[in-house]
Amino acid sequence: MIDPLFALLIAFALSGILAVLFWPAKGIYATYKKAKRNTSRVLIEDTLKHLYDYEERTVRPTLRSIAGHLSIGVDDTIQLVEKLQSMGLVESSQDGIQITPQGRSYALRIIRIHRLWERYLADETSVKETEWHLEAEEKEHSISVEEAEALAAQMGNPVFDPHGDPIPTKDGEVPKRNGVPLTTLKNGKFGRIIHVEDEPHAIYSQLIAQGLYPGMQVRIINTEKNRIRFEVNGEECVLAPLFAANVHVIPIQKQEEITSEFKSLSSLRKGEKAVVVGISKACRGPQRRRLMDLGVVPGTLVTAELESIGRDPVAFNIKGATIAIRKKNADQIYIKEFSQEELN
Amino acid sequence: MTTNQINEREKLIASANTLRWEIGENIHDSIIESIYTDAAKIANKVVRIKEQKKKYSFDQTIDRIVTSKWLGFPIMFLLLAVVFWVTIEGANVPSGLIANLLVDTLHPLLKDFIASVGIPYWINGVLIDGAYLAMAWVISVMLPPMAIFFPLFTLLEDFGYLPRVAFNMDNLYRKVGAHGKQALTMTMGFGCNAAGIIATRIIDSPRERIIAIITNNFSLCNGRWPTQILIATIFIGGAVPAYLAGLVSAAAVVSIALLGIIFSLLVSWGLSKTVLKGEASAFSLELPPYRPPRILRTLYTSIIDRTIFVLWRAVVFAIPAGIVIWLVANVTIGGTNIAEHFIDWTDPFALFVGLNGVILLAYIIAIPANEIVVPTVLMLTVLVAGIAGVGSGSGVMFELDSIGDTSAILHAGGWTVLTGVNLMLFSLLHNPCSTTIYTIYKETKSIKWTVISTILPIIMGFAVCFFVAQLWRLIAS
Repeated sequence: MIDPLFALLIAFALSGILAVLFWPAKGIYATYKKAKRNTSRVLIEDTLKHLYDYEERTVRPTLRSIAGHLSIGVDDTIQLVEKLQSMGLVESSQDGIQITPQGRSYALRIIRIHRLWERYLADETSVKETEWHLEAEEKEHSISVEEAEALAAQMGNPVFDPHGDPIPTKDGEVPKRNGVPLTTLKNGKFGRIIHVEDEPHAIYSQLIAQGLYPGMQVRIINTEKNRIRFEVNGEECVLAPLFAANVHVIPIQKQEEITSEFKSLSSLRKGEKAVVVGISKACRGPQRRRLMDLGVVPGTLVTAELESIGRDPVAFNIKGATIAIRKKNADQIYIKEFSQEELN
Repeated sequence: MTTNQINEREKLIASANTLRWEIGENIHDSIIESIYTDAAKIANKVVRIKEQKKKYSFDQTIDRIVTSKWLGFPIMFLLLAVVFWVTIEGANVPSGLIANLLVDTLHPLLKDFIASVGIPYWINGVLIDGAYLAMAWVISVMLPPMAIFFPLFTLLEDFGYLPRVAFNMDNLYRKVGAHGKQALTMTMGFGCNAAGIIATRIIDSPRERIIAIITNNFSLCNGRWPTQILIATIFIGGAVPAYLAGLVSAAAVVSIALLGIIFSLLVSWGLSKTVLKGEASAFSLELPPYRPPRILRTLYTSIIDRTIFVLWRAVVFAIPAGIVIWLVANVTIGGTNIAEHFIDWTDPFALFVGLNGVILLAYIIAIPANEIVVPTVLMLTVLVAGIAGVGSGSGVMFELDSIGDTSAILHAGGWTVLTGVNLMLFSLLHNPCSTTIYTIYKETKSIKWTVISTILPIIMGFAVCFFVAQLWRLIAS
């Protein structure tokens, strides 16, 4: 029989090795997979996306900007651009590097897959919003056009990604962006968010943390040099201009001003009643559909009925049925005080 | 269609697409909202609601009691304990009767009859000692407990109590990334894992449902309780003074069941953080009004849909397994039967992790039902150790009425307290029975989840047995 101490040591060593190999995101296997990503196909497609993006923003791309975007050396970039040229996807002249119509349609195809996949992650999975973009960056290179079409058809051909960007059609049509950055809105003006830029990651995470989503109504309270104060969903929000410039809005007519702050459903105590005003945009996909199916829509009267031990979940009476909702979801349901005339 | 019409259609689709871009993405919400608003308007106009105060307050009173801070959990444990006690106590007598009829009476009769007709002994062995006996055994040990447990459980469900249990337990299950209703499917798993897995249909969120399916096997099912009790009585009860034996062995069995619950929570947490992180998930839990249970209907559905359904699947798997059990003990290669070859071959590894080859072989060939593991272990032990005068021939499963005799056989087979402890652990942590595996496949329609649910507990079982064995030897030496 093997010495038990020896056996134990071997077992610990083995589990250590396995952990180093397969630890999620940091293990050797995960690192290897990440490193393998930069194949020539991925580089080509990322370059085209970069060129298209610059063209859209009417900025002139340079070898250096491409190299920076792909995190590769300038020498490698020169080779890459030459290759793209020989494929007829880009042209270079004394005006710099330009994308050809053929290259543009290739780029739009990739962007379509990227945005479709983000839409899919947002609606059909529980992947966190800060991870959508990164996952789609990987997926866009491995999904075939047929698979993408099947996915689009299955989701009912969505036209916007979850950040508010339009999804190009199969034929590569895409509408012009008509929003303006939040920074250009004047004091006291209203706007509706149509787009929250998902790059760079650090800024996007901050915007998400502030609870900014496409479709929300904002009102500028005050713009100063270093900060913009505005009201969104009844809450005051402060952003630095650098961050606010990544939020695009379309100006809208003066709306009913939201005077009091919205409370969330989780603040309702046992026996209290309130009227639903809406569900936060942060609650999406199956969870949002479920809540709406149960009748959590603006105007519905809800009564807190039962609290479980620890006050999570709490059961509410919604349209005659007793439904338990977890605190995390109840936080995302906005309510206002109940008044009698509201019912009629 | 003419080209003109096609062009016309393409134009329409294109303009529809442009319009969708202009409308924005709030359209779905707005549509649902307006449908509800209109419906509410119409309902307010034409529906008159009767005063239902009395019934309603009755519901609220019960709810207040069963979800209260101090009474909620005691009531839950009490009710579940009663259900289990009634199941175990109530199943003894009918199980004995059926075993008496099918195993003790009918089995020898059939055997003699076939022998008298002049059919060769091996056909007799394969069909009667193998296929028939395995089937008879499965029916006699599975049918009565399930026929008692399922109706009781369904009555609680029908009355409306079980959703309140899910409501109470959700706090805990939320923390491990699961759904409160998993408490129910887990409890159902104590009756039968296959039924527990079918019961996960009540969990409507995909991620939480898969978690509930994979972890259901950690509920010690009906087929494993007798094994646990027998082994605990022999090895753990036998290791302490006689006046403590009953108490200590009972405590050991309960600890194994609790360990199973702990494992199910841990694995739920691990799964929700790793492989299942991105699966879709949506929580909601309806607490329906209480209503008097419909007893006849409950009896009918729980016996037909649950008991007979599960039993049928078990029988279908038991017949071929019975044949295999008989064959491994009777087909010889080079003078030794297959069973001994396998046991000799696996013994070094099995002894190393504190089990033995007999146990491994028994768990492989008794895959259709955990109920026939102990009879198979006994048959194999007698076969390998060459004990004469016990059982009724090689390949014929048997059980002994006397715990002392069983203990003697196992000790003669070289079992120690460590073997007993590890068998109890391995009985908790091993692959689900074939009925359950098949049910997992049927419910998930996914080979991936079926394989994970099957392999994961085996790996955990070997790992746990390994560590227990090494630590045991380290401390004992």
